[in-house]
This record gives sequence, structure tokens and C-alpha cells, in this order.
Amino acid sequence: MASSPPLPVKESLLDTYPSLRHSYFSPISPLFNAYDRFAFWRADLGLPAPGTVENLQKETKTTHLSNFIFDGARADLTKSLSMNPLFQVTHSFALGSQTAPSSYNFGAIFGSSQVFMQGGVDHDGNVSGRFNYGWTTGAVTKLQAQLSQQAGHNMIQLEHDYQGLDYSLNAKAMNPSPTDGTGIYVGSYLQSITKNVALGIETVFQRPTPDISEMSSSYLAKITGTEKNWIATAQTQGLGVLQATYWQKLSEKVEVAADLQLIAMPNRREAITTIGAKYDLRLATFRAQLDSTGKVSALLEQRFTPTFAFLIAGEIDHFKAGAKVGVGVMIESSSLTPEEMGMPPQP
Amino acid sequence: MPSEETKERIVKVIEVGRTVLHYGWIPLIIYVGFTRSNPQPSLIKLISPLA
Repeated sequence: MASSPPLPVKESLLDTYPSLRHSYFSPISPLFNAYDRFAFWRADLGLPAPGTVENLQKETKTTHLSNFIFDGARADLTKSLSMNPLFQVTHSFALGSQTAPSSYNFGAIFGSSQVFMQGGVDHDGNVSGRFNYGWTTGAVTKLQAQLSQQAGHNMIQLEHDYQGLDYSLNAKAMNPSPTDGTGIYVGSYLQSITKNVALGIETVFQRPTPDISEMSSSYLAKITGTEKNWIATAQTQGLGVLQATYWQKLSEKVEVAADLQLIAMPNRREAITTIGAKYDLRLATFRAQLDSTGKVSALLEQRFTPTFAFLIAGEIDHFKAGAKVGVGVMIESSSLTPEEMGMPPQP
Repeated sequence: MPSEETKERIVKVIEVGRTVLHYGWIPLIIYVGFTRSNPQPSLIKLISPLA
């Protein structure tokens, strides 16, 4: 018996469900219909992109100075050789630090719309590198490596990031071994639930040797203010560790952030709170921070000209009666203005 | 499960790849940056901190 002619479909229905137009797939069109309807319904909710799990606490981290503080003296000479595509080289010198030995580091960055490459080598010959490749706007594959002369100090990390309209997915593998399957594998998912709330989960699978494997999950929550001027996050990290942060933009120039880390393990109970503020002035950035371990620290980054910045960092540990002071210069030059490059670094 | 011989070969290939990456990564970035830059910089400006 000949196949029955396809049922006439009303034009309006075709407009509503575009997948009906693909006649070859008509036997499974109910599935496509359901998917389309679900996709329309989901798009209608207008949920915002939640950001990535890695950047969950980004605002707090850039407001606090823990990631920026240094001691001793340092000089960074950055030379931009091209803006589009971005290509710059950096020479960094650090000396006189209490915690780290003096070092020299050479870095190079190349970035175009699809590819980002970064590499650094220090005076001992240790190389660190990053490579990002953007397939489409939301899908990025990242490769990160640390290579050293000594055995056992090498690290390689493969990562893929996917950001949908209202969710983000990330898979990571650290030191994966193709022969015995050892390594650390991390998968994470963050989904916007309402316009303000996003919830997520991150699972870590560790396999240090072929016989031992261990899995732990952590849960994440992020609440964003309607005007995006405040963000609160919470993250459990398995084994009784909770980290909560709050960040608020008070005005165009002032941001404040608080961070609470709670550790409640059977043999160890402690909590650390850090509060900090950041002022973005016209030619200067000032960060100040106070934490519950008795540390008070501040960092001033003063730009005298657009290409020359002077940094002063200080930290006083009141409980241990210790202090750290750092001074630094950052000189940025472009190949277009060679007279700027001969400027000697100030002590 | 791969045989012992294949495993050894894989480990060797990874070791060689790691060495190539260790010595070749920075030169690769500089080569790519140098050839794709607009305008193309001179070589001395690239390497010397003060030039």
C-alpha cells in the first residue's frame, strides 16, 4: 500500500514549530515538537547567563587584595607590540621578598578573537603555559601546563567550557594518564533558576593511583541583585568546608566585599572572615583589607602617567607581630612610543 | 586494557611531547605573535627589556 500523503499542515503551525518543515524527520517530529516547545518555554523565561563556576567568587577576589599583595621589590616591564591581535611581552623582576627567592620571569601573550596563548619562563627554566581556543562564542577549550626540569613537578590540565543561554557547563582533567586512568577529573554545572538565583554542583573525581578512587561533590549557590550591584555566593566543599562571599558595588568608584570560610571537620574547627574595600580613583586603585587572623593590609596602585604605575603594599600581622612591605613599578610601553621604554625602574 | 608494550610506548610519546612543549612553547608564542602582529615589530624590541 502506498504511503498516505502527508497531512496538510496549517501555515501558522509551521511558523510556531519550525522543525515540522524537515519532512524527512516527520516520523520523530513529535520529539522535535516537544523539544522546540521546551526550548521556546525556556527562552520565554528570560533567565540570565549565570557566569561560570570558576568565576563564582570573581568579584570578591578582585576586590580583596589577597591575590595582588606582594612583598619586597618588584618591577614589571610590559611591552605591547601589537593591539589587534594582542601581542605583548613582559619582563618581571622580584627581589628581597621574605617568602620567595628573587626571581626573573619572562612572559609572552598572544590573543586573537579565537586563540589565546600565554607562556612564561623563569630563571630556573620552569615553563608555564596556557592555550585557549574558542570554537563558538560559548564553547572554549583550554589547556594549561606547568613544565619543570624536576620530575614530579609537571602539571597539565585539559578543560572545556560551555556556556548556554541560562547555564554553564565545565569539564576538567588534571594530569590525566591514558595508560592507567589516574588523575583528577572535575565536572561542574551552574543553572539559573530565577532572574536572581543560580544553583550549581561541582563533582571531583580523584584517582591518585589505579587502586584508589574517590569522589566528592560540592554545591554552589549565587544570588545576584536585580541591578547587578550586589552578589552573594555560597559554596560547600565537601568534608565540612563552607565558603560564603558577599560583594557590593556602593558607587562607581567603591566596591566592598566580605568572605567567610568555615571549616567544621571532626578534628579541626575554625573560621576565617575577610572584609575588604576597593577604591577606583581616576589615576589610582586602593585596596584595603582586614581579616580575623589579625592581618591588616593595604595596596596602593598609583598611575603617574598611563604607562607608569607605582605600587606600595603593606601588611601587618597583629597576632604574630609580623609585617611585610612591598614596593613595585609597572612600566607599560608600546612599540609605537620607543622613548618610553628607556625609563629606568625606580627603587 | 592495552598491553605493557603499548603502555610503554604511550609513556614515551608523552615524555617526548612534554619536552617539546617545554622548550618550544615560548618560541612558538613569539613566532606566532611576531608573524601575525600588525605592524610587525623589530626583533630587538621583542627580546630586550629596555630597547
